[in-house]
Amino acid sequence: MKAYISGEVAIQAAMAASLNYADIVTDQDPDDGTHVVPGEVRRFLARLRLLHGVPFSYLVPDAELLPVESMRFFYIDRAWTDALVQGALSVGTITSADRTQLEAVYPHIRDEVDEAERAIRRPKGEPRLAAGSGTITGFIVRSRAISGWPNLHVRAYARDVVADDALTTAAESHPDRMKVLRMERLAPAVLFVLFDGVPAVVHIEEPRQGIQFGARLDPEDPPASRRAKVHVRDCNTGDSVPPLDDLTLDNSVDVPFRAGAPGVIDLTNLRKRLAAKAPNSGGTLEPNEYALQMLRFPYRQVFGDPDNQQGQQFYSLNSFKATVALSDWKKTVTANLAKVIK
Amino acid sequence: MPNTGHFILHSNVMPPITAGPYELRTDQSGLPFTVETEVTHIRVAAPRYTMPTEQILSSFPPANAEGAFGDRLPQIVLKRRTLPWERNPAGSANPSPVPWLALVVVAEGEAELSTATPVAECFTAGTLAKIADPTDRDVEQGLYLAVTETVVKKLFPTAEDLPLLTHVREVDVNDTELANGDDDGWLAVVLANRLPVFDTAAAKPVRYMACLVNLEGQLDALPPPTPPVPSFEYALAQDWSVLATVNATSAPDQLVMGGVSMSHVVLPAAGLGSTRPPHLAAPALKTTSAGAKIGNAIDGGASMAQQSVSKQWVSSPTASIAAAAKDPDAKRKVRDTMAVGFRYPIELYAIEKVLRFPVLAHWSFTTSGKESFETLMQDIDIGLLGTVPERAPNAPASEAGPEVVQTGHIGLDHRTRRGDTSRAWYRGPCVPFPTPRDSTAKDEPLALAHAADQLRRVIPDGREDLALAAAFEIGRLLALSQLSVVSALLRFRGEQFGAGRVREILAELVPFELPVLKHQRFDIGRFVAMQTLDVLSKNTDRMIGPQRPVADPGRPLRVDGDLDALIAGGLGYDLASLRKRADAVGMVAALEQTQAPVALKPGQAPNEKLVVPALRAALGAELERTLGVAAPPRIVVGPLGVARAARKPQPDALDALIAHAPPDDETEDLP
Repeated sequence: MKAYISGEVAIQAAMAASLNYADIVTDQDPDDGTHVVPGEVRRFLARLRLLHGVPFSYLVPDAELLPVESMRFFYIDRAWTDALVQGALSVGTITSADRTQLEAVYPHIRDEVDEAERAIRRPKGEPRLAAGSGTITGFIVRSRAISGWPNLHVRAYARDVVADDALTTAAESHPDRMKVLRMERLAPAVLFVLFDGVPAVVHIEEPRQGIQFGARLDPEDPPASRRAKVHVRDCNTGDSVPPLDDLTLDNSVDVPFRAGAPGVIDLTNLRKRLAAKAPNSGGTLEPNEYALQMLRFPYRQVFGDPDNQQGQQFYSLNSFKATVALSDWKKTVTANLAKVIK
Repeated sequence: MPNTGHFILHSNVMPPITAGPYELRTDQSGLPFTVETEVTHIRVAAPRYTMPTEQILSSFPPANAEGAFGDRLPQIVLKRRTLPWERNPAGSANPSPVPWLALVVVAEGEAELSTATPVAECFTAGTLAKIADPTDRDVEQGLYLAVTETVVKKLFPTAEDLPLLTHVREVDVNDTELANGDDDGWLAVVLANRLPVFDTAAAKPVRYMACLVNLEGQLDALPPPTPPVPSFEYALAQDWSVLATVNATSAPDQLVMGGVSMSHVVLPAAGLGSTRPPHLAAPALKTTSAGAKIGNAIDGGASMAQQSVSKQWVSSPTASIAAAAKDPDAKRKVRDTMAVGFRYPIELYAIEKVLRFPVLAHWSFTTSGKESFETLMQDIDIGLLGTVPERAPNAPASEAGPEVVQTGHIGLDHRTRRGDTSRAWYRGPCVPFPTPRDSTAKDEPLALAHAADQLRRVIPDGREDLALAAAFEIGRLLALSQLSVVSALLRFRGEQFGAGRVREILAELVPFELPVLKHQRFDIGRFVAMQTLDVLSKNTDRMIGPQRPVADPGRPLRVDGDLDALIAGGLGYDLASLRKRADAVGMVAALEQTQAPVALKPGQAPNEKLVVPALRAALGAELERTLGVAAPPRIVVGPLGVARAARKPQPDALDALIAHAPPDDETEDLP
């Protein structure tokens, strides 16, 4: 055993240390597995990748890019988020040895943060999903619908597997459902959503917390005599009596109002009318059957579904597809140019 | 449990008993002696004047929301399923299917919401005597809703409506969307009976307040059923909003004693209006609506008007809200602001009877326009980021839009380090088309920037593209802004680089191989321990000291006296006969010839006469001992002078049971 080392040995040791120890494990978490990068650094960088804390003007540099009542879809530029992460990592790299070491360990950081991105938002009861990096897309909405309806639901599907008016949804771990990586209201009226992939269909739905009750007011009525109707449902199945999109004499009842009171429904008489018209009511309605009749389901807006029957079809979102990457396009153009010049 | 996305509706869930004090009396009969009645006092608690926030799961429309809620009935969802039936509104102690809670929706100007008031005053005078256990109070101070009889007749549900307005919903607990964090998936829902409609005639948003009121003792105040009408017209049930124009600083005394003009104030028919004596005509009244203005600013109702786009993000409404939030009184102000418009002192002015109902929870919202979630979502402008609204062809140059190109880059003013002003390109992380991640080829090491300047690009048009450089800087600043992240990064570097350097130096110094570190956590303590043990075991004599011999030498035997006598005694031989034989053949041969005495010869059966009694005796003794341990002899202590006769135990209940038990052996013997 030696009692001293020379300066040369010390320098060599430092060089070897910065190059050869990039893959030693520093984090062993029974829940999270074995990682080179410690959990706290990994989670911070993953949150950074999902643009947590990035000032809004860096996301949307001009107000006209996101006017009032608008919705903008986008892809996330991985080069930009990588630059963000590199900036964060540059903190405290003072010497060349520090930087050499950072360069050696950076591939590990990148791969492990790619994985950690998916674990930042993890709904209760959903299994953990793990895979390498992929395309991240998303949208940003600025609308009164965001401020007036907090907690609305956003779902994205890789394939259109759920009927547009289906009451249920596919679980978030369903293979056809896109995982939502981040969903946050950046301002009262601005919603920012990131998806793990390129969705084919996006659903935005009114908050379900209060499945609501109500009647349909006819907007065309004169202010002096406003009327309302209720669509009748089958008491056994809960399904609306067809036709679904039209209120006819057979599938709806007029809502009786209390005389002299604005908008106050005469519930007792409405119950009698509903009991008379609803199939399988047995002539009377219990409070729960009555509630069933008054149910109004949350509205679901469907984006990007060409066969959409329920909602309105928007201008073709087919443009929201993976198109040619700029580098490929450049390559093709230069190749073709070269042919022409020859 | 219902499936995810489904729910089950129940008419009601009745509690076995209502809230209140109970006396539990426990009597026991059938005993030869009397047992004292056990009296326990139980109080079944339920909210009465205020709804604990943890019992409120959600409300619709959302508090302070603004939208087209006109065709939906407001509702409140409560967590405990029995809550609406835990009190009997008629005052009886028995549960009744008529709930004691009702959700009443009043528009601005129709009713008064009190400030905190002692709970005894929260009911209409005289009601407290009619409710069950009036002393039961969950809080000392509560809120109440003061409404005139006219408004009650118009807006409140009839007694028949009440059961129809409450029901119980059963949902899947794991369905985050429906259960919303409830613990058991059973929710009680209380609906309002009034559609919060929009004022279509005046095209004006209407502010409503939904109040969860306690109807105990006041069922008879509810309106009787009236013949229905097929349509309605928007109008306030009773408009007290003129009271807002009364100077807030003038006290009611002043109003009654004169000094304030009421001439321009037109009160509702049932109010004082014309019946007020004419001597009230006096100096002009200063009108103020300062209170109403606060409401507008914080609600953001006014700020929704279409302003110029670039102004919206730095607009003064935002600034004023931010300033308001800093106020130490902000909490109280926000609460007051929500109640503005519902604080008119109706009770002071109304001539007809004013009823009070305790309010357990309240929130306000605004019904505006025709914009529902549906219409808003359908009219939304869709595009990829980078789409800029089209401008009029002859728009002035000053209103030119941002310089946006198809790649999503935007031209921004840029001041260089030398102070020159120029234009530079910027593009955020959100781009309108997929971009490649790396510019480097696969076999090259990943490009890593150490400073933002490494990411500055100059594109062919001569302008700089600062997108990635800006990203680098903001990432660096975000990391620097959190001390914990900085220290975690340094610790991580120390753990890798520091450990590596120590190891490299150690490898130079120590004579043994260091372990391979890949894919396992580096634990120096354990490693040192293992290495130490290994070295120790290899160099035992040097490191631990001389070893102990395999076996210790035995002690020397002591042989005293005559050897022959010793051997004969040890083997049990007769010394005399042995000596005699030894005289002839020598001692060793004599020992060989002599047979050792044995109890039984090989092959010989033991003598039963001797063995069996011995064994039996041993068995008997052992049995005695065991029994003695298991059942100690009973020591009977009798009174002095009385013969110690074994007392016969009295037959007890168990004996009687055994005596009367049917013999069960017989049944078992049957084939």
